[in-house]
Amino acid sequence: MLPIVARTLAFATVVLFATLASAQDARVEAARKEGKVVWYTSLALPSAEKVAKLFEAAYPGIKVEVHRTGSERILGRVMQELKANIKNVDVVHTSDAGHFVMFKGRGLLTKYTPAGVEGFPAGFKDKDGYYYGLRATVNAIAYNTKALSAAEAPKTWKDLLDPKWKGKLVTAHPGYSGVITTHVAALVNLHGWDYFKQLAQNRPMLVQSAVDPSGVVASGERVVAVNGGDYTFYQTKKKGNPLEIVYPREGVPLVVSPTAIMSFAPHPNASKLFTDFTFSREVQQVMADSEGLYTGHPEVRYPADKPKLSELKLLTVDPEELEKRGEEIRKRFVEIFGA
Amino acid sequence: MTGEGVAAGTPGRLRGIDRALPVWVAVVLVLVFLMALPLGWLVWMSVSTEAAGPTLGHYAAVLQSPAMLKALWNTVVLAFWVGLASVAVGAPLAWLTARTDLPGKGVMRALVLASFVTPPFLGAFAWVMLAGPNAGLLNVLWRDVTGATEPLFDIFGMPGLVFVVTTYTFPYVYIMVANTLALIASDLEEAAAILGAGRFTVARTVTLPMVAPALVSGFILSVLQALALFGSPAILAMPAGFHTITTQIWSLFQYPPKIEQAAAISMPLLLATALLLLVQKRVLGRRGYAAVGGKGGQRRTIPLGVWRWPALLGCMAVMACAIFLPYGILAKAAFSRAWAQPLTWSNLTLGNFTFTFFEYSATRSAIVNTLELGIATASVGAVMVALLSYVANRRLIVGHQVVAFLALAPIVIPGVVLAVALFIAYTRPPLILYGTLTILFVAYLTKEMPVGYAQSDATFRGIPPELEEAGRILGAGRLRILRDVTAPLARSGIIAAWCFIFIGVIRELSASIILFTPATKVMSVVIFDLKEEGQFGAIAVLGLVMLALTFATVGLVQAVLGRDVLGVKD
Amino acid sequence: MPGVSLKALTRRYGDVAAVADLSLDVKPGELVALLGPSGCGKTTTLRLVAGFLAPESGEIWVGERCLSSPRQVVPPERRRMAMIFQSYALWPHMTVAQNVAYGLRFKSGLARTDRARRVTEMLRVVQLGGYEARYPGELSGGQQQRVAVARALVVEPEILLLDEPLSNLDANLREEMRFEIRRLHEAFGITTLYVTHDQAEAMVISDRIAVLERGRVVQVGTADEVFLAPRTRFVAEFIGKTNLVEGVAATPDTITVGELRLRVGAGGLKPGARVALSIRPHDIALATPAGAAGPGVNALRGTVQRASFLGDGVDYQVRLAGSDVVLRVAAPASQRLRAGDPVDLRIDPAACVALAAEERA
Repeated sequence: MLPIVARTLAFATVVLFATLASAQDARVEAARKEGKVVWYTSLALPSAEKVAKLFEAAYPGIKVEVHRTGSERILGRVMQELKANIKNVDVVHTSDAGHFVMFKGRGLLTKYTPAGVEGFPAGFKDKDGYYYGLRATVNAIAYNTKALSAAEAPKTWKDLLDPKWKGKLVTAHPGYSGVITTHVAALVNLHGWDYFKQLAQNRPMLVQSAVDPSGVVASGERVVAVNGGDYTFYQTKKKGNPLEIVYPREGVPLVVSPTAIMSFAPHPNASKLFTDFTFSREVQQVMADSEGLYTGHPEVRYPADKPKLSELKLLTVDPEELEKRGEEIRKRFVEIFGA
Repeated sequence: MTGEGVAAGTPGRLRGIDRALPVWVAVVLVLVFLMALPLGWLVWMSVSTEAAGPTLGHYAAVLQSPAMLKALWNTVVLAFWVGLASVAVGAPLAWLTARTDLPGKGVMRALVLASFVTPPFLGAFAWVMLAGPNAGLLNVLWRDVTGATEPLFDIFGMPGLVFVVTTYTFPYVYIMVANTLALIASDLEEAAAILGAGRFTVARTVTLPMVAPALVSGFILSVLQALALFGSPAILAMPAGFHTITTQIWSLFQYPPKIEQAAAISMPLLLATALLLLVQKRVLGRRGYAAVGGKGGQRRTIPLGVWRWPALLGCMAVMACAIFLPYGILAKAAFSRAWAQPLTWSNLTLGNFTFTFFEYSATRSAIVNTLELGIATASVGAVMVALLSYVANRRLIVGHQVVAFLALAPIVIPGVVLAVALFIAYTRPPLILYGTLTILFVAYLTKEMPVGYAQSDATFRGIPPELEEAGRILGAGRLRILRDVTAPLARSGIIAAWCFIFIGVIRELSASIILFTPATKVMSVVIFDLKEEGQFGAIAVLGLVMLALTFATVGLVQAVLGRDVLGVKD
Repeated sequence: MPGVSLKALTRRYGDVAAVADLSLDVKPGELVALLGPSGCGKTTTLRLVAGFLAPESGEIWVGERCLSSPRQVVPPERRRMAMIFQSYALWPHMTVAQNVAYGLRFKSGLARTDRARRVTEMLRVVQLGGYEARYPGELSGGQQQRVAVARALVVEPEILLLDEPLSNLDANLREEMRFEIRRLHEAFGITTLYVTHDQAEAMVISDRIAVLERGRVVQVGTADEVFLAPRTRFVAEFIGKTNLVEGVAATPDTITVGELRLRVGAGGLKPGARVALSIRPHDIALATPAGAAGPGVNALRGTVQRASFLGDGVDYQVRLAGSDVVLRVAAPASQRLRAGDPVDLRIDPAACVALAAEERA
């Protein structure tokens, strides 16, 4: 009951705040003239659509065109369009920080600091001011509670290598998802590539998106997810599905998902308005409450049933490292797992 | 066809239609442009490098890469088994409905038709829900009933892939065999019977050899289908950890793209397809197997006797796999919160519909795009094939055989390969079509031309030239004749061609998946996107919409043509 | 060599009875033609005999075996028959030799060499020696037909069935093949049923003709009997051309038609009964100017309405004086009369055949 009330209140506050703000802001007029924002995002579809609808409600007359796909796909899309000289996208938001290092290096980003990010941790900010972390999640293990008891469930990443899990695992793919690219990078740093070679012996089911394992485990198709964004696990669990999350003690790979405005954005004002909106405390709170995400915003309160970031041992991977090793990670993963 | 009379009168005809000649020539040029340009780029790209001159390096890279070779091998295995299985399923089914007293033949034919128009990737997706090893409903049922721990059938893997592809490919064999059986008079079988051959000996020694060319032809068509599919392998093979050529080509387009390698690996696929079609043409060309002799083309049904009900059961089992089970599970998923849970009141929801149509922003534009492209391609395509087949049938220009060849040639190019070629051709100056709906339009037009042409060709064959000549003798000019005589007679056939092209476009995936951009998504791509996020409910809803559109169009064809759209005569 | 006995066969298609209470006995070694117009049930009868159809009532016996009855039908492959189809039904994927040899594989006790020998022999008999390796598609219509014949005869069937085998040949070939088939029948002596709609064919080929009308046998007899003594109007009209004259019997051997009196050779008429006479055009002679009518010969007067010269004869339409009867006369070409000429006709009473009274027209 209470979360619902809290959520409604948060929603109302957001709308109110934004409506008041919009009356004063001349930039809103300019944004309205542009009419829309084209958003390539890897945020889970329902979450992305929700943020878009919130914005549209707060700023009537400006549409948000949501194009959701995996982080790596978004990169491919943007580069392909660039090559064909198509200028379609305004705001790019993926979970692979390496992309933004590359974009910045090629001068493809607009330097823009959203309002209110001063209080964000350093890991959420680009020192040159081109991109900022919109949200964060950690990779965790999830299992189906109908098939396993808490005692039987794996507790560490290494536990997953046990042959008893053969045919019962599901993994997402770094070739599609930035969340998973970070996961693989972090675990290779922790345990080496041999870890994944052994994991492959257990023949996990291969899905693409970091959102997918939660569905696979919830339906009972596989019993344990060996990676995936914990926010999707949290959402699935909250919907009443028989799923439980395990945060391995060795550490959980932290994925900060940056967002940036492209240098060639066809709707620059609307993009800036939208970016500010998404970094506002209200929207960040919505992301924490209903989507189970972590954020960089210092004033956001998190649900009681989620571990705080400070309580977890975080495995981080530098954006530069992600940019350099991204292709190698994807290639070796395909070699090891077959597809 | 009165070839002799036409040939003799050709100079006179040419004089009469000189004005219209540029039109025909223009249309032919468009055809050449559609086909030759992208293919040229494809070949060029497969041997080019950014800086240096031509190289065979890409071919080397492809042929030395274990992943590529594995994908090639998987594709061969898949195609071969699908071909065999399609013959094993399609031929007996055709024999049963065309020749015996099987009950419910009309229903069976309708179901085969439904199977023919169902997009295979939708079927694959439905079968994931039915036979996923742990959550698949059939496996759950099996475990509940027998108490086993292992699943009955794991759909992820080569056997599962072969199974699903076959259920949507066997109609090709069915059509070929049924049409051939329609040509074989019963006398031939009765003559064997009265000389002492039992029912099955007759089938084995008389019917089967006469149907053999159709069987081989059907086998080849099934193999071609299997080679070119993208959706089913993407859904069933990749999760199990293996690729086919089509999924491999697609993955080469992921960042950073290796277009040259994609081009290089497309070539063997293209060559294999061309070779198979050549063989098929040869096999069918042996006319000696048409019925020979005097009058008497009556066909009488063979009584099945005690085998009646087992045969019916077998047919129903096939249809269950192709239609009943998959459509059922799609309907269930569309209306459930959680598709794997039982269908209780609490599980029922219209939420998937609301999400798909109102909350998911890509849906509406995708549906609009699909309909726009479908209508545009079908309309332009129908006009083009009408003109082309008229020119070819009435031999209006020198080199009309080339027209027919070119119109049918695109069948040689698998959708993925066509997309790669178009991508290469139209992402560079002077004509950058990538990122617009136009490039999809070009792809669809090229790809669906053969099926439209085949239909309109058959239409004009059915209008003897004498009908037009009778009018011209009385004083009407050629264009007048076209309007008064030819067009009304050809109308229903051309409408049918329109519908076939339309159906082909709305379910097209293998080319769309490479050529789309976020601004130009079509329904099949959206469904594929949703699959990658595990949004089963939304997929089911969109799948049902696609099926509804398809069947509405099929209904239109049947109303217009007044006969079974599979062309199987009664 | 057994005979065939059809006992009261009935077979319907929907409401229509294609074969209605049909009975016929074919003696061993006999060739009986089933003759009639299309729709008379002759092909249905043949297919009943072959076992492709089951009778709704009635039985079919071959020799001592009952092969068909409403309860049970011996399947075609076990009836020891052979059939030649209207379309010949040659298998296009087999050579001539393979076609002919097909039935031999179901005969036990035949070695392969024996089979080959029989095939070669039979092809020689039908004058297709040397054609063993050809395919049906390479043969002319007449040759295909002979392959069909060879295929049927080589298995030495007990009963041979032919379904209008000559109807696809051109006129000259048809004539030639009629005699050929008759010759083969006399050589092999197999009990044969021969379906045709061509009465000339039936008369040449068969030992006896069974005339079928609407699913029933209306007359069975030799060609002579059927032609010269038709029993019903239908038979009279179907076999050859005829004039039908209706009148009332005056005495047991005369009838009156209007003002005319005609003597009827057979006699036995019931005075006062309505009688129909069949008079063949060939049996009406034009009186020579010098000749008087012989005793008892019918002498009639009339006027020529129409004269058609046919080359080997003249076809006249003559209106008889004293009535509205018009007779077709077939006369030799020696005399040429024209329309409007008066003419005297002579008809032998024996040529006036009284037909059976029929309730329905």
